[in-house]
Amino acid sequence: MSPGAAAPLIEFREVHKAFDGKPVLRGMNLTVGKGEILFIIGTSGVGKSVTIKHLVGFLRIDTGEIWFDGKRVDQLDEKGFYAVRRRVGMVFQNATLFDSMTLAENVALPLRKHKKLRHTSALAEAMGRLEQVYLTGFSDRYPAELSDGMRTRAALARTLTMDPEVVLFDEPTTGLDPVNARRIDRLILELSRNLGVTAVVVSHDLASIFSIADRVAFLYQGRVHAVGTPAELRDSPDPIVQQFIQGQSSGPMETPGF
Amino acid sequence: MNYLVDRIAGVGAYALGVLRAAFELWMVFVGTIAGIWRLYGRRGATRPPGALVEQMHVIGNRSLLFIVVTVGFIGMVMIYQACLQFSRSVGDLSQIGVQFARLIVSDLGPTLTSMMLATRVGAGIAAEIGSMKVTEQVDALRMSGVLPIDYLLVPRFLASIVMTMVLSILGAAIMYGAGGLTAYLSFGVNPRVFYDLAMVEPRHLGLGLLKAFCYGAAIPIVSGFCGLRARGSSEGVGWATTAAVVGSSFAVIALDFMLSVGALWLFGGDV
Repeated sequence: MSPGAAAPLIEFREVHKAFDGKPVLRGMNLTVGKGEILFIIGTSGVGKSVTIKHLVGFLRIDTGEIWFDGKRVDQLDEKGFYAVRRRVGMVFQNATLFDSMTLAENVALPLRKHKKLRHTSALAEAMGRLEQVYLTGFSDRYPAELSDGMRTRAALARTLTMDPEVVLFDEPTTGLDPVNARRIDRLILELSRNLGVTAVVVSHDLASIFSIADRVAFLYQGRVHAVGTPAELRDSPDPIVQQFIQGQSSGPMETPGF
Repeated sequence: MNYLVDRIAGVGAYALGVLRAAFELWMVFVGTIAGIWRLYGRRGATRPPGALVEQMHVIGNRSLLFIVVTVGFIGMVMIYQACLQFSRSVGDLSQIGVQFARLIVSDLGPTLTSMMLATRVGAGIAAEIGSMKVTEQVDALRMSGVLPIDYLLVPRFLASIVMTMVLSILGAAIMYGAGGLTAYLSFGVNPRVFYDLAMVEPRHLGLGLLKAFCYGAAIPIVSGFCGLRARGSSEGVGWATTAAVVGSSFAVIALDFMLSVGALWLFGGDV
């Protein structure tokens, strides 16, 4: 039973978004329940990352509504979104740490801004956060000196400093080796089960989906084409869903350029 | 007919785009001024540690050799050409140094130094901020509760103003020195005659410093604006960098023109 059905925390209603006249989201509806791990899957360029970026105000929808914890957020201004960003963290694609700062400084930055800690006390707390993601001893390294998996973990530590209720993951395991990818999966699962954090994960890593997802939303042609538990999707009779899950190059799915 | 309508619509869209960009540039400037207050006007504000000193080092110290060499050569070439022309026409080279001093202090010193700085510093700022933009680091700053302008532009803005003024004074001195040396070595002009500051008045110095201040403010604003507008991938950063160099050099020239015209109105012909 997915926890999503009971208490929707995030809701996208009939969201439309076009870039330079090209529609990407075409009336997308999606709900995310409190505490669940929801995967948004779909082919590249279908609007998965675009969807989650709307929630924290990096992109503005053309029409539709986005609700977070009973409040409409799509009409907020930049200042209004800062309150949302205190509750909703995001781990970007390719980790996106600040190049010019050490790991500890990277993690300390949101502590200084959001929690108003002094530089030294923020650095001290950052050490603890790095320990949580098994990065003790790397605090004075710069991002360029670390592996992709370590950077992703550090980015997760930076996000967790704010004790967010929701964490958005933008392709967290893309480009990682299988061992590191499964470690990230485990961290996401621990977050959800131990701390009750809601996780929205944009991914096309099938191994992640079938090991940790509570629910999966399959995006196709700007809408949620199918949604359900991993098992429901795997057993779905829909030929488009089957083509994606089985990774077949030919089938009914229309992909631009083919 | 349709062709005509399309053309007019195209021109209109372009004009709207330019207007929107000008408005955004203005907002970056206003945001930076507000950012100075947010970062330095209040006790206990979260400042990027050491950023101001670091940026002063990057913008000032690292540009030192480049500025010394380029403005030194410019001073030498200008005086050589001036002496050559004067020796052919008038024959009297005694006034060259006196006039050159006034010209350097009120105009050439800050303007040529800042033109050189615009290429080096402008490209650096746009490339750094642009690559942070396309790799989503700017968005990550926003997620961390930081206004990107505060962290990225405010330290560069303040550092650039200070260092452009310092380097303009240095650049003017180097040009003057190199010019006098050239006049002496190539045309035998007595340095005592050349290095004569009789024509330089406080208003010339004031105008020169005001120009350096304005150039120092304009270069990081234009370049930061170009960097923040970078889109796509490395190609977008390349475009942003080019636009920053062209834009900030143009800003220096345009400000030079406006400030010189303003000074002419104020002081009459003697600036």
